[in-house]
Amino acid sequence: MKVDNVFGPIDIAVSGLRVQGKKMEVISSNVANAQTTDAGKGEPYRRLEAVLKTDEETGGVSLQKIVKDMSDFPAIFDPGNPEADEDGYVAMPNVSLPIEMMNLTIATRTYQANAAVLKRYQQMVETTLELLR
Amino acid sequence: MSKTIDTIELLSAGLRAESLRQKAIANNVANLETPGYRRIDVKFEELLAKALDSSSKSGDMTEIEPQIYQPKQTAVKSNGNDVSFEVEVGEMVKNTIRHKAYIRLLGKKFKQIELALDIK
Repeated sequence: MKVDNVFGPIDIAVSGLRVQGKKMEVISSNVANAQTTDAGKGEPYRRLEAVLKTDEETGGVSLQKIVKDMSDFPAIFDPGNPEADEDGYVAMPNVSLPIEMMNLTIATRTYQANAAVLKRYQQMVETTLELLR
Repeated sequence: MSKTIDTIELLSAGLRAESLRQKAIANNVANLETPGYRRIDVKFEELLAKALDSSSKSGDMTEIEPQIYQPKQTAVKSNGNDVSFEVEVGEMVKNTIRHKAYIRLLGKKFKQIELALDIK
């Protein structure tokens, strides 16, 4: 990680903000599709997760890829449903709302933390510039 | 030092660049959702480095004009737009810091000249 860039902390905090924004996108997609029994190819919606990686050169963070959660689809007994199979079960998306809400809180707090870093660093530099008054 | 560099010219050139950059950032933010829009930035520091490196005896800062260009380095979203609000906020913070630094350094330089002229 290079440490001679005076704007380093700003760029790193901005990368943190962007990445938490992407996490929110994934969470909102999961929440919106929590009941989608048919997401194409006869399968329900499969939960998505954002995988992050560190940028070795700048010390910031970036989105590596968005992966599908490969855990099993929960089956609900609902024989009257047109989507039900021979045994009367309907496969539902593998989205758990309590988990999504928890991730939402974590993403929000991390976003706030990054914004605080950005703001405090800006104040630090402006204090230095006060010496020039 | 092999060049005579006029401090006031240098700082003024930096100020011109920062003013232009502020316009560029405002343009990017206004086009946050415009399909196909690529973010713009100002090319200045490279031109400055080139001018200081070149073989002429004095660095003529008045010749360096900041230019608007499209860096085309950010990831493009599905609608062809590559503006990220957080990045523009980061650029605004840096822009403000640099602008303040240039203004205050210019002020100090003028005070220095006043001191030499012994103006009361």
